[in-house]
Amino acid sequence: MKSGNIYMDNCITTPPAPEVLKEMKTYFEDRFWFPASFISTGESTAEAVASFKKTVADSLNASPDELHFTSGGTLANNISIKGVTLSRAVRGRHVICSVVDYPDLLTNAAFLEKIGFEVSYLEPDAQGRVSPQQLKDAIRDDTVLFMTTIVNHVVGTIQPMREYRDILRAAGHKIHFHADACQAYGKLPLDVKELDVDTLSVSAHKIHGPQGVGALYLKRGTKLEQVIHGVKRIDGLQPGGIGIALMAGFAKAVELTFADLEGGIRHLRGLSDYLLEQLEARIPEIELNGPRGEGRACHNINVSIAYIEGEAVTMMLDLNGITVATGSACASQGLKPSYVLLAMGKNHVQSHGSIKFTLSRYNTREEVDFVVEKLAGITAELRSRSPLYKSTHPEER
Amino acid sequence: MQYSQKVLDHFMRPHNVGQMENPDAVATEGSPSCGDQVTIYLKINPDTLVIEDVSFLSYGCASNIATASIITDLIKGKTLEEAKKVTWRDAMEALDGLPPVKVHCSVLAADTVQTAISNYEIAHGLKEVPDFGKETIIEELKKIIYPQVGEDIVSLKMVKYVGFDDGNVLIDMNMMSFDQWRENVAQEIREHLEKYPAVKDIQINFP
Repeated sequence: MKSGNIYMDNCITTPPAPEVLKEMKTYFEDRFWFPASFISTGESTAEAVASFKKTVADSLNASPDELHFTSGGTLANNISIKGVTLSRAVRGRHVICSVVDYPDLLTNAAFLEKIGFEVSYLEPDAQGRVSPQQLKDAIRDDTVLFMTTIVNHVVGTIQPMREYRDILRAAGHKIHFHADACQAYGKLPLDVKELDVDTLSVSAHKIHGPQGVGALYLKRGTKLEQVIHGVKRIDGLQPGGIGIALMAGFAKAVELTFADLEGGIRHLRGLSDYLLEQLEARIPEIELNGPRGEGRACHNINVSIAYIEGEAVTMMLDLNGITVATGSACASQGLKPSYVLLAMGKNHVQSHGSIKFTLSRYNTREEVDFVVEKLAGITAELRSRSPLYKSTHPEER
Repeated sequence: MQYSQKVLDHFMRPHNVGQMENPDAVATEGSPSCGDQVTIYLKINPDTLVIEDVSFLSYGCASNIATASIITDLIKGKTLEEAKKVTWRDAMEALDGLPPVKVHCSVLAADTVQTAISNYEIAHGLKEVPDFGKETIIEELKKIIYPQVGEDIVSLKMVKYVGFDDGNVLIDMNMMSFDQWRENVAQEIREHLEKYPAVKDIQINFP
């Protein structure tokens, strides 16, 4: 079987939709111009960019003037986090996030500490949820920013955004609210007015759009210090060129995803429920990491398989044409277990044996059946080699 | 980062895998909390001291399983003296190499083979239980791989000073403050030394 035949690592990146590729081709080949005034080529591009912007803004219930294209989710996070802290440093130098946030947020937090900010890191519960009470307790007079990852990238836990919003509203002074929505976008309805966030980042390639483009929602009237400098081509917040074709592909991906968001969510929820049900029925001594049901995003199933190691599992699945992810230290470049699972109180063994499936609209029940059947066989094989399994199951010598 | 075809073959279809009935020597090294655990079983002819059979179990990644598979091939039919000379470097060579970051996973299997042999020799009066001292510490440090380059920290001259006094181990390391592997290496040093009852405290200093 060809590698990548069954792809269930959609939390990292998704396959681009055929319609997206078709749309982008036009802009790569014929309509490659940057926006400009008074010349027909540039003006037609300006109109196109405006319509892409409107499409993406509509998907978040934002106005087009509040939507800024960036070269991806990471750029959007950086522009927001650095921009707001630099612009408010005179007012206060305290920032709040959680230890299970996406690395974009945590590496920015580490940078802020280096330049003199103080950061409070909230702890998750056993399901990866960060309680609103902790946020309330962490707020100080000099707090200028609270940032959170709406859907956890490892276990799919959805953070209590409404409760966070209410606490921030009641804080007595303005605290900038930044949300990384890259994992949440297209997996649950997001309305920036209802969330009442000040900034929010999304990425195209998590919803079958192209890699290398994302967007930052910036609430009207919110000031960010400029952190990237250069010539303005597309957007003032991220100077320099941003691919016209990439924005076109992004807008097309948004159209496809949001034409029937509820239907898409229903499909993913049904498929991941089925995956979990089959895993639990076919593989003994397996445990779900993170919440069951509505508390987790519709595309994520993360399980720990006892007595075996995740890199070995993912490699054997790979040789069967199946792509999934693991939290095993052995599979990471830094030889470290998953910081999210450890923060949730899981031990090294549970992290080593963790397998993450993230589904997309292109996955089917037949694929799920095939994957579970292969995984059951691989689990039995690796357990037959495992001293941990043998020592705890002497009857199966 | 890629594995060689040999590694994949030994990982997918390992040789000598499984629990052994009535082994003459057995050893388990590593711990699930540090990632890997290997058990080695030996069947030894008491007259010729030849390893007549060997098998292993592994809780580990592909590199760990493949090394255990090939090293058991390498020592099968050898005398204990010959088997003692088989190192992780021999196993790695026989596997057509390993990615540097994965070398540390292969050391464990080689190490466990040596422990099993040593256990046999001690049990049969072929050698004394060695005294724990500075030499033992240095031997242990030679088993710790610097993941960036896949070489051990002693060969790389990363160990500046080793001291042992009344149960207290003192190690001065030569690793820069921005070295991303400092924490990994320190943790591995602890795991290697904590198993000795003679060790009460371990202090590792970085510049």
